[in-house]
Amino acid sequence: MTKDEFGPNPWHQTNWDFRAAFNFMFGSAGAGLLVAAALSGAAGNALRAEMLLGMALIGAGLVSVWFEIGRPLRALNVGFNPFTSWMTRESFAAGLVFVLGLAAAWLGSQPLALAAALAALAFAYCQGRILQAAKGIPAWRVPALIWLIFATALAEGAGLYVAVTVLAGRSAGIAMSYLAIALIARAIVWSMYRNGVAKTAVRAAKAKLEGAGKVLIQFGTIAPLALMLIGWLAPNFARVLLPLAGLAALATGWQFKFVLITRAAYNQGFALPHLPVRGTR
Amino acid sequence: MNAPEKSAALATSGKRATYCYQCVAGPDLLTVKVVDGVATEVEPNFAACGVHPGGGKVCVKAYGLVQKTYNPNRVLTPMRRSNPNKGRNEDPGFVPISWDEALDTIAAKLRGVREAGLLDASGYPKVAANFGGGGTPQSYMGTFPAFLAAWGPIDMGFGSGQGVKCTHSEHLYGEFWHRAFTVCPDTPMCNYVISCGANVEASGGVVGVWRHANARERGMKRVQVEPHLSVTGACSAEWVPIKPKTDPAFLYALVHVLLHEVARERLDIEFLKQHSNSPYLVGANGFFLRDAETKKPLLWDLKRNAAVAHDTPGCDPALEGTFTCDAIEIGPDAEVLAKGRLEGSPAFSKLVAHVQPYSPEWAAGICDVPATTMRRIANEYLDHAQVGATIEIEGKTLPYRPVSVSLGKTVNNGWGGFECVWARTLLAVLVGGLEVPGGTLGTTVRLNRPLAERLESVTPGPDGFMHYPMNPTDRETWSPRPNIRNAYRTMVPLAANGPWSQALGPTHFSWMFQKETPKGLPTVTLPEVWFVYRTNPAISFWDTKGVSATMARFPFVVAMAYTRDETNHMADILLPDATDLESLQLIRIGGSKYIEQFWEHEGYALRQPVVTAQGEARDFTDIATELARRTGLLEDYNAAINRGAAGVPLKGDGWDFSLDTATSHGRDEIWNAVCKAASADLTNGKEIHDLEWWKENGLATKPFAHADWYLYPTMVAQGLRFEMPYQERLYRIGKELGNRLHENDMQWWNEQLAEYQTLPVWKDFPGLWEKSLLKMGGTTKDYPFWLLTSRSMQYSWGNNVGIQLIKEVADNVSGHRGVIINTGVARELGVEDGDIVEIATPLNKVSAKAVVRQGIRPDTLLLIGQFSHWVTPFAKDFGVPSMNSLVPMSMELTDATGSGADVVRVSVKRAGGGK
Amino acid sequence: MTRWAMVADLRRCVGCQTCTASCRQTNATPPGVQWRRVLDMEVGEYPNVKRSFVPVGCMHCEDPPCMHVCPSTATKKRPDGIVTIDYDLCIGCSYCAVACPYQARYKTDLASFAYGKATASEEQGFDPKRLAVATKCTFCVDRIDAGLAKGLKPGIDPEATPACVNSCITQTLSFGDFDDPDSNISQLLAENQTFRMHEELGTGPGFYYIWDKKETV
Repeated sequence: MTKDEFGPNPWHQTNWDFRAAFNFMFGSAGAGLLVAAALSGAAGNALRAEMLLGMALIGAGLVSVWFEIGRPLRALNVGFNPFTSWMTRESFAAGLVFVLGLAAAWLGSQPLALAAALAALAFAYCQGRILQAAKGIPAWRVPALIWLIFATALAEGAGLYVAVTVLAGRSAGIAMSYLAIALIARAIVWSMYRNGVAKTAVRAAKAKLEGAGKVLIQFGTIAPLALMLIGWLAPNFARVLLPLAGLAALATGWQFKFVLITRAAYNQGFALPHLPVRGTR
Repeated sequence: MNAPEKSAALATSGKRATYCYQCVAGPDLLTVKVVDGVATEVEPNFAACGVHPGGGKVCVKAYGLVQKTYNPNRVLTPMRRSNPNKGRNEDPGFVPISWDEALDTIAAKLRGVREAGLLDASGYPKVAANFGGGGTPQSYMGTFPAFLAAWGPIDMGFGSGQGVKCTHSEHLYGEFWHRAFTVCPDTPMCNYVISCGANVEASGGVVGVWRHANARERGMKRVQVEPHLSVTGACSAEWVPIKPKTDPAFLYALVHVLLHEVARERLDIEFLKQHSNSPYLVGANGFFLRDAETKKPLLWDLKRNAAVAHDTPGCDPALEGTFTCDAIEIGPDAEVLAKGRLEGSPAFSKLVAHVQPYSPEWAAGICDVPATTMRRIANEYLDHAQVGATIEIEGKTLPYRPVSVSLGKTVNNGWGGFECVWARTLLAVLVGGLEVPGGTLGTTVRLNRPLAERLESVTPGPDGFMHYPMNPTDRETWSPRPNIRNAYRTMVPLAANGPWSQALGPTHFSWMFQKETPKGLPTVTLPEVWFVYRTNPAISFWDTKGVSATMARFPFVVAMAYTRDETNHMADILLPDATDLESLQLIRIGGSKYIEQFWEHEGYALRQPVVTAQGEARDFTDIATELARRTGLLEDYNAAINRGAAGVPLKGDGWDFSLDTATSHGRDEIWNAVCKAASADLTNGKEIHDLEWWKENGLATKPFAHADWYLYPTMVAQGLRFEMPYQERLYRIGKELGNRLHENDMQWWNEQLAEYQTLPVWKDFPGLWEKSLLKMGGTTKDYPFWLLTSRSMQYSWGNNVGIQLIKEVADNVSGHRGVIINTGVARELGVEDGDIVEIATPLNKVSAKAVVRQGIRPDTLLLIGQFSHWVTPFAKDFGVPSMNSLVPMSMELTDATGSGADVVRVSVKRAGGGK
Repeated sequence: MTRWAMVADLRRCVGCQTCTASCRQTNATPPGVQWRRVLDMEVGEYPNVKRSFVPVGCMHCEDPPCMHVCPSTATKKRPDGIVTIDYDLCIGCSYCAVACPYQARYKTDLASFAYGKATASEEQGFDPKRLAVATKCTFCVDRIDAGLAKGLKPGIDPEATPACVNSCITQTLSFGDFDDPDSNISQLLAENQTFRMHEELGTGPGFYYIWDKKETV
């Protein structure tokens, strides 16, 4: 025997499907958008629109997952375990986001928007923790995943913000730099996560993640940075290039999470550190 | 008629004791939990833990009984076929009828048969009956055996698995050599087992599995020799992947090592001299040298330096050398071959010379097992044998030889089976390990009588050996007119003429000869009435397509039908019998019985109606009684029950519970009498318990001596020797049989006649299947794989393919969903796990999902169980094929015992073409 | 204190599936829901291949990840170590299922039966509370509690013992009190070498696998 541990091939989890994935896709993009909007200094209707869009995305994610749970009428029970469950905490953070975000949108208040953004950051962090606490899925329980989910939330949100802002005919301004930083941070955390996952996940999961990661780096990091650079150097094209860069940041983050949850979520499988002695050694 | 008894007194809730005997490794004693009149749960009968040798546990198959009861696919009313045309593609058009109509129809048919005569023009019984599962249906058919006994001659020799799905060679030769219808190690005391394909973990039942688990934990080493890594291989210390059908060479190599590579004194010389025919002097013609007057075989006494009769007390027989003495050598048909001063050698000398060529190096090229492995195993076997050791069992000092060799199906039937059983028995004899504690034991008898008392079946026979009820081969009594269609009495002397002999002949002949009866036998005919119960030969036999087509020609078929299936598809009448949890019967338990049931108790157990029978299902006893009454056989039927056809004679020393033979009795009345007789039998008449007591208690036993597991003390007490290693008697009857056949110009059995040898030689056994392949029009290059099968514990004998729970849990065991193929080979063929592959012979092909595993030889494929159902509800959707549809039925693949093996050469490719 | 735990002696297991069938029946789980499963594992390459049968199910962990993640507090751990699910609280989010490293949890959204429609025995066992919520091995907690109430000893008296253990035909499975040094399983653990599944994950399974006797014994 050449291996220390023996086990049959892990198989893909069947408990969470695209509906769960949508929560992580829409939710963190929405949270990221709230953060970008609050940090951008936007005000008035622009702020309102961005806040509402961000919350709509978070809401869509939650509705999606509501369709997945077995007992939707008991959905409120989700809040019963703030002591240890990151899912409960996520629901609390979401509640806070909605309260603060709606207030900010109603009043057009930047301080409230900032408070909502803080709640959104907490929400994004909870999402990372939710996945990382799922010990049964080796590709999820890597600690770096918390920060990857967090970083991609910021990147997706910033991307969306830049795209929406530019398409709305406004200048993205400092958000461009913020997006660039978020993209680079996401790439760095991806690299950390990749190292971590290499030690735990099965080959099939790693192959799926490699593919998704390649897209994340090539089309989600290098391409948008290049587009932004070109847009900066050639402002005439910026109106086209910057939204493209933003959407690339968003779409690649989504595809990564979709793959993470519905394609690379192989379970632990079983492994025997020792084979049983059958009669004689 | 009597209304069927539907146990009005059934408790609506609680636990009821009963048994499961769905497979040959039973019975298992269990309780069934009933809630509001509905059976919900099976549990071990914990009250039986103390007496049952498997801790009172219950096999997985029994857990399917609840679903079996409530399966919505059951046939729950009698049915009549409305479409007169029969065939696989004909819809039988079954329509519900009343019990009266069904029974009247059958009775009218039977009365017609009786009036015209019980035998047809060929001399074969007009009525035939098939029961599956190694005799287990008898534990469910109530008093039907009494009906069969009352009827008279019945052909029970249509195969449904016998001969090809059993350990046929072991049944015949095992019973001949050591009253061993089946053979197993004395597992609780054994330390080293060489298991050639014996799949005890799948077919040993609760007791087998329990004993081997204990032995493993104790440190018993088991070496599993077989082409694939079965569940038994998995649980063994070592797996030796041997080439299919080469086991005789492997075993011969072990014998060679013991006889040519180790010091002679390490063998059990005393056993060889005193308890085997090793010292018998063999003359120039291969027959024993005998005393001219007494005709007793001679041996050379080293003390007297003279030849003496084998039973001369106080002699020290020579095992080796050449000696000259006054003697007579008698050949077949009592022909004197030589007389006067004759030269002879002890049989042992002959043996030593015989196995000289069979070295491990020789065998390595045949078996694809390294010579060093075989040599090591032979030496390990000897090292563990503890020759000379003794042990005390219940005050008796017996030899202790904790080594054994066990053989599995396919190793143990068809060509090569004889050689394997001989070599296995010989390996035990060489170390004195036959029928002694720790060694190789027989479990029970089925060809000798009495069935329930193995040791009592031992009586003195010729030449110092046990009596064996051979079918005659002498000129006066041998007959070319067999009593049944498979011709066991004519063709297979060893099949004997005991209770089970019909099932142990060449049972495929009954099907095969329907096309063309070979010269010399009366034309094989269709039975006019065929009863089928708990068997499905259209699935379970070989060449299932041919068998189905033949049975479609049967004019009148009565099937006791649990659900529709492939055999009752051809039936004229379906009768729904009450199933396991719905009906009543008392059976014997305990003593020693296959597969590894060695009890320290014996007695009886009751199967009782746990719940009310579903629909119109009726207890088999009531069906039998009604059939007897309507056929005018009531008196004989009741008399048969009184004689013991229900398992125990109703009259004994000091008790008489006999039924009035003139009247018809209800189920409970009959079994009440049986219960009383059984309790009287158990207690010598001291305690009489009625049916109600048995229903409450479930079972009752008395002690069975552990020492009675072993035949050795009985042999010693009667001064008998084991008829090993030299097969003078077999050789003689083979020659005589040949004479008889040739006198009748029957030349088609000549190949088989060559199997009657004094010391069997190795033949190219795999080559026989390769030759058969050529005959089918294929080449070994085009059909490079050996397709084998293996038992599934979840299904074997269980008649339970329609049970969802069983299917679900069986699928957890690898291979139940398709064909197992070696990983490396699959890669070469571009086959991935789950791909559909086509498995083909030149004549037929099937498709299966590939189950890619490392634990199988690259030249071997394995299809577990036997599926390919096309009628049976639920099972017909499995999508798993069976090798039975690929295995041809042929004379050239039939050995001298009338047995074939589950082997066939095939090709395999991805469906739609390989890469 | 009492800590109920199970021991599986892998040397003895033959993969017969009796425990699985018994569990399915005793707990009236729907088709495919096997709270007690036995894996058929193959290791190595031909001809050096080993095959093992490994009973698995809920490990009733000391530190159960399923309980920590459960947002509704439906999953709890009793003082005696048994991890339970409150079917009335569970929202069926399956978070526990992905958190469990032993693939022990099931969720069946719709009622399903062996042959489509419920048979009489299935109707007896059917519990609509179990639909669309997480379910898993309970160590037959109802048998244990009822048995204890009668003064019986779980793991010794069949009536108070998990069905899989009662049914096991190889004595692979044993059940008892880990905290009682004289218990059946404490003795087994003292005499044999054991491991727990995925011990490195720190879940502290209450399920031990024997693979060999101890050298010193």
